Amino acid sequence: MTSSFEESDSRWLECRLCRSSICDRPLQRGEELRCARCSELVKKAGGAASPQAALALAITGLLLVGLANAFPILSFDVAGNTQSNRIITGVFALRDQGYAPIALLVFFCAIAAPALHFATVAYVALAGCLRVMLPGLRRAAHAAEILESWSLAPVFAIACVVAVVKLDMLGTVNWDSGIAWIALLALCSLSLAQVFDSEAIEAMMGEEA
Amino acid sequence: MTAATRLDLARALVIAGIILYVPANVLPVMTITVTGDVEPLTVLGGVQELYDSGLWPVAAVVFLASIVVPFLKLVSLSWILLLHGTPHLRPQRTAVYRILHQIGTWSMIDVFLLAILAAVGQLGVLASVQAEPGGMFFAAVLLCTLFAAEIYKPSLIWNPDGDPQSAQ
Repeated sequence: MTSSFEESDSRWLECRLCRSSICDRPLQRGEELRCARCSELVKKAGGAASPQAALALAITGLLLVGLANAFPILSFDVAGNTQSNRIITGVFALRDQGYAPIALLVFFCAIAAPALHFATVAYVALAGCLRVMLPGLRRAAHAAEILESWSLAPVFAIACVVAVVKLDMLGTVNWDSGIAWIALLALCSLSLAQVFDSEAIEAMMGEEA
Repeated sequence: MTAATRLDLARALVIAGIILYVPANVLPVMTITVTGDVEPLTVLGGVQELYDSGLWPVAAVVFLASIVVPFLKLVSLSWILLLHGTPHLRPQRTAVYRILHQIGTWSMIDVFLLAILAAVGQLGVLASVQAEPGGMFFAAVLLCTLFAAEIYKPSLIWNPDGDPQSAQ
């Protein structure tokens, strides 16, 4: 569970949304601490980040990014002529049609951002697992936070489903193995968002130091 | 970046997004050609086509993601920015911002759909999918709303001048 507060000292927490300060206290099982001002979740009992789970999911995600990009997603058949595609095929097609900005956006959100997000999360989580202050850890944590918003594997998976429905009205369409990897990548991405908390890892590293 | 700069940038992006929203929905996003039938499709046209084919659940998903979400983002960001510096409805503004942040990227479905269809629609005269200028405007609207939401931090709702203690 991603906490919305960052620990400023041992007794006070700061709301990430409204920046108000709230007194920290031990929580009972199932209890939550919420901001009195904007009601954002401050802290959750048992909700501390697990760097081991985040590291495992990030490495799995990196592998899945490779597999999702290596295999065709679907094939489209009209009158015996078949065309299959991978994620990058759409990027090249848009570029060749003169829409390089859209191609770049698709490339970034569907390929680059997920890969970079998993890589930065793996780096931060590795530091948390080893309890070692690795170089550039704070920057990596900040980058992971930004890249999370742009890593759109789950949205791409839904777009694949819509594409199949649409193509089915025009010709014959078949799923290829790439779609399974994209679905797993989407699940991995969503799961990682639940277990990774860069600020909790940074706070843990600060305590260690 | 100062609070005033963030506010100015966010306002500029939202105004640009509102202007771009019109051509994004009026101009065709893609042209599909299958065995000689040429069909230019706008965002709403694509939804209509899915609905007419009886695929209303998929049509509803695309309608929500591609039309409702960008519109709601522009309206709610405008509302949040208009009330900037006032003490009115701060918890509600924060709640709206939180929702915006969570659902905002789902509008990318249509951009990804365009990329997938353009990739498989390369069968020459039998079937082709050509991206159209509406796609550029649509992507620009999404980027304007995404960047505006990133630049205008929710803490500015409570601390308009950037001072964390000002609204305590």
